[in-house]
Amino acid sequence: MRGRPLFLTLCLFSSGPSLAAQQPIGTGTLVVAGPREALSPVPTLWRNEQFNREISDLIFLRLADVGPEVSTTNERSFLPRLARRWTRRDPRTLVFELDPRATWQDGRPVTAMDAAFALNRARDPKLSPQLATLLRRISTVTANDARHLTVRFTEAYPEQLYDAVYHAPPLPAHLLASIIPESLATSAFIQQPVGNGPYRLSRRAPGTLLELAADTSFFLGTPAVRRILFLVAADGEARLNLLLSGTVDAVDNIYALPNPGRIDKLPDFFYYPVPGLNLQYATLNLRNPADTSQPHPILADPVLRRALVLAFDRETVSKLAFGPFTRTPSAPVSALVGRNAAAPPTLPYDTALARRLLATRGWLDHDGDGMLDKDGRKLQLTAMVPAPVAPRRQMSAQMQEAYRRFGIELLIEPLDIPVFIERRDAGKFDLDFYAVTQDPTPAGLSQSWSCAAPTTTNAGHYCNPIVDSLIAKAAVTSPDPGPLYREAVRRIADDVPAIFIAAQVPVIALHRRFTNVTLRPESLWADVWQWSVVPGQQLERDRQ
Amino acid sequence: MSGWLLRRSLQAVLTYFVAVSLIFFLMRLVPGDPLARLSDDRPMPPEAIAALRARYGLDQPATRQFLVFVTQLMRGDLGRSIERGGLPVTALVTERLPATLLLGGSALLLNLTLGLWLGAWQATHRGTRGERAVGAISLALYAMPSFWLGLVLAWAFGIKLRWLPVAFMTSPWLRPGASFAARAMDVLPHLVLPVLTLTLVTLGATARYQRGALTEALALVTVRAARSRGLSESVIRWRYAWRAAVGPMLALFGLWLPMLVAGSVFVETIFVWPGLGSLAADAIASRDYPVIMGTTLLVSAAVVGGNLLADVLHRWLDPRLRDA
Repeated sequence: MRGRPLFLTLCLFSSGPSLAAQQPIGTGTLVVAGPREALSPVPTLWRNEQFNREISDLIFLRLADVGPEVSTTNERSFLPRLARRWTRRDPRTLVFELDPRATWQDGRPVTAMDAAFALNRARDPKLSPQLATLLRRISTVTANDARHLTVRFTEAYPEQLYDAVYHAPPLPAHLLASIIPESLATSAFIQQPVGNGPYRLSRRAPGTLLELAADTSFFLGTPAVRRILFLVAADGEARLNLLLSGTVDAVDNIYALPNPGRIDKLPDFFYYPVPGLNLQYATLNLRNPADTSQPHPILADPVLRRALVLAFDRETVSKLAFGPFTRTPSAPVSALVGRNAAAPPTLPYDTALARRLLATRGWLDHDGDGMLDKDGRKLQLTAMVPAPVAPRRQMSAQMQEAYRRFGIELLIEPLDIPVFIERRDAGKFDLDFYAVTQDPTPAGLSQSWSCAAPTTTNAGHYCNPIVDSLIAKAAVTSPDPGPLYREAVRRIADDVPAIFIAAQVPVIALHRRFTNVTLRPESLWADVWQWSVVPGQQLERDRQ
Repeated sequence: MSGWLLRRSLQAVLTYFVAVSLIFFLMRLVPGDPLARLSDDRPMPPEAIAALRARYGLDQPATRQFLVFVTQLMRGDLGRSIERGGLPVTALVTERLPATLLLGGSALLLNLTLGLWLGAWQATHRGTRGERAVGAISLALYAMPSFWLGLVLAWAFGIKLRWLPVAFMTSPWLRPGASFAARAMDVLPHLVLPVLTLTLVTLGATARYQRGALTEALALVTVRAARSRGLSESVIRWRYAWRAAVGPMLALFGLWLPMLVAGSVFVETIFVWPGLGSLAADAIASRDYPVIMGTTLLVSAAVVGGNLLADVLHRWLDPRLRDA
């Protein structure tokens, strides 16, 4: 692979907002192929969906952006955007001063009322139930005047700034206040949103493409890449063809495509590994699928769970499925979150140790049939897997074979996605092959790995009150909650509530004519407005 | 004829209603909750899920949902997509229909034109080396999965030779205000590979049907009598034999017609063709009931309507059926 090392990618985050102003105007077109269509790229209207977020972040600016290291607790690392500064009135109050140059794409100034409108919309459980849960510690949001916004919190905690700026970028109150809140999702605004960011939505062909055009009045400088086309191709083969035929400049993860070996050495491309938020794991159900009020007859034993992890070569399997940069985590931390809440060393692939652990629990091959058994009962488990998701099907087959050789019978049950989720929510499974996109904060661990988390996100019924208290304490510890998060993560790893397989580090293929490239882990294309095209290397589409 | 047409039309309407009703209820019997994916990554409060369930009428018994569906349908309203944030299904289907009609219509036209000609040629050249070769090739193409053939064609003509685009119905660079001529010239090269794929994998069936029907027709007494009267081979073939062979071909046309509406999910997926097939496949995968019903209404109409049209044409062309 002709790639740029990871550290270079990360160092490039420090590009300043004045960079674009120095670039010639209108020298580039970026064409990106992705698997999903962004149907509602407007803040507060989408779930935790990467494809909507990536478009939204180009149209709507935040008050401040998390900085290059994506540390959600370090306020000093945040970059000013719509807010040119913020001050702390007291431990529970943040006051933002908006940049007077910021305007909406219809020419109206961005005001504190717009920021308050969006945050209050996000905090309304009827309109944004998931965001309202995340923003539950914001007590009031008030526009003092056109340029000053006060956000008050229920308690002092280190992620106040992150909560105030990350989830709900300002929306144009002058356009949306008159729309019935419930009908915003189907309003004309969704088809033609008016933002305040470097790009405006200029064209949309349903199911095919979405085009953004540079906003020449963008207050931080006119983007040098004057348009971005997001082409939608759900099928991996189709995205591969688009790349190989020269139709697109970028695909968001070459290891999500079939046969990536065909495209990891294309001479016109650079390859950027970017630590991602996606985590792949096999949940171990700690409750009995037949009666969820009872512990699981096999998986309730933590020693057995540890043996299951040891008996499976996760590192090899994860790299085969998701590429060479993918990490094998020991706990539920994505590659990005893992940077700020480092997990303990992962358990090795050690079948001898696994066998010894199982023997201590009475799981031996008593009848000589090659399968482990105890009290006349075979060590047999069923793993459900979403049938349409190829990498997970592949991993489940590899796990089945590894366990078969080891003496564990793993039955694979491929299911349609809605059936898979229904069964998962009801706790009717032993193992499942699941993937989650985490928020870029370790505080998000509580969404899935706490006693209070609902079965929809904590399907294995994992519950450790010590972990809960550590996460709760970390969430209010300032200035450095890191040690507490690390301890929580270590305890989760010790409890082995799942077989954590892959913390993805997607590799982005990007045409080499682009320069000043920065790719943000939490929103890949958000900094395109600071890129440019190397003079003399323009393609025809750059000039069209 | 008019009495028969009325009876046949009523039968078609009844069939259509039964088919649509069956699909409506069967989809609700299939396991899988349309709202299941809402809590994938972040917890969704149960009351919020309950509110969404009420908004889409999913909290009602299936019979009540069916009544609402029929009532809305009478008003031309197909409901709102669950997966796509409440977008009207009518708009979604209307957006996709032209692309599907263009792809399916072009493939159907090419299939029937080439297939009938090829089958007729085979029937009149029976036993020759050429006929055997054509038969083997068309059978091999018929046996090929469309997704595989599509990928091979895309690789050869789109990637290696770079003669044709590998995806989409129009170039991403085509401006929205482009003239009709410019648009047509842009669509044409995009149409080639998907139409070729669909045509090649279906051509064999049409040709074999035509070959079989014409072979039988050429053995009819009327045809032999015409030959004995010294009529030219061309007149015998087209005026006598082909007319007698048209019945089975019309039945085949009735079967192919749904292709016009449903397209091919695989071909649409590989060539990123923004048609109804991929919309229906996505809807089934996510249990988006309103979209499933919207596409089903069209596909069922094509199947039932195609068969009715084939019956009417067959009766019109064959005097023996008219008199029966």
